[in-house]
Amino acid sequence: MNEGLDTSLTVVLAKLEKRFGGRLRKQTECCGDLTITVEPEDWMRVLSFCRSARELAFDQLDCLLGDHLPERTGAPFEVVVHLLSHTHGHRLRVTTPLAEGQDLPTITGLWPSAGFDEREAWEMYGIVFAGHPDLRRLLTTEDFEGFPMRKDFPLRGTVGGRIRTDLRGKI
Amino acid sequence: MGVMDDPLRRPSDAEVGAALQQNEVMGGPVRLPGGIALPVQIERVLGFGRSFSFWPLLFGLACCAIEMMALGGSRFDMARFGMEAMRASPRQADGMIVAGWCTIKMAPRVVRLYEQIPDPKWVLAMGSCAVSGNVWDTYHVVQGIDSLIPVDVYVPGCPPRPEALWQGLEMIRDRVKQSRHAYDGLRRIPAREVLLHGEPRP
Repeated sequence: MNEGLDTSLTVVLAKLEKRFGGRLRKQTECCGDLTITVEPEDWMRVLSFCRSARELAFDQLDCLLGDHLPERTGAPFEVVVHLLSHTHGHRLRVTTPLAEGQDLPTITGLWPSAGFDEREAWEMYGIVFAGHPDLRRLLTTEDFEGFPMRKDFPLRGTVGGRIRTDLRGKI
Repeated sequence: MGVMDDPLRRPSDAEVGAALQQNEVMGGPVRLPGGIALPVQIERVLGFGRSFSFWPLLFGLACCAIEMMALGGSRFDMARFGMEAMRASPRQADGMIVAGWCTIKMAPRVVRLYEQIPDPKWVLAMGSCAVSGNVWDTYHVVQGIDSLIPVDVYVPGCPPRPEALWQGLEMIRDRVKQSRHAYDGLRRIPAREVLLHGEPRP
């Protein structure tokens, strides 16, 4: 399964399998990139292991994304993080499936740059990151209603938000 | 809808007349302190001078700003027409080029920048998004910037070529020479009208 993986990524996979064993839901490999799927309960443990283990040493969080897959009725949401290690030069994707209304612990303690990404994932998909220091809307107006990147959000029409010209004096 | 229904309604003659009597209407001839209008000849000289030093606000919203920069660069070079000095402060600008789509979060900022530009001022809506919202009939894009501020010249395109923007600026220059503004005859700019009615309508 890992023929296309770099040596360092093979080490990463071996380390993760040794540490978490059967708790890793699935690992896929495509075009030399490794993606592992974990349970939401293991989210924090896996990621802090990725951050701190010497052979993994993922010191940078490239991005954190949300995703909405309504055809997956049990767990329609997904959170993906892209990790990069400057020490070893390898990358890793970690994803977790989420049910509607299910929380995920914040990873701002591991990578402070996750703060903006988690705010965006929350405002666009409604995925709550428990323990986030400042979970406010980032790109939409403060009084926006709804989560616009969900698949059931209307595609057309200025819905959910409004122009706050009354705020222009405070800007 | 997040935008007002009919914000650019032209007031009737009676309304303008009443507003003129109360000296409330915007635009019109240049007036000295005390309300004395300048003679037309002097105003034309002023407009001629202004037309060769039109300084737009350094302000880009989206991809159209790249074409605006191309017009400022050496190949198209709007410095030839006295428009090269893009002012970073609205207090020093003569007008703004609304280059790109405006989100409803950005809209109050655009209105504030417009209000900070001293009169007389001219506005050019650049690109289909600033003109009408283009294909972005979505949750977060203002359907045409003219629902918020009075626009003098519309330059459609996605994005317009620098030549098109240049022609738009030439049309602005004509209006500068003639002392014509988009807000002539308006009693207030639309965004202020929203304020007068309290909460903007959702």
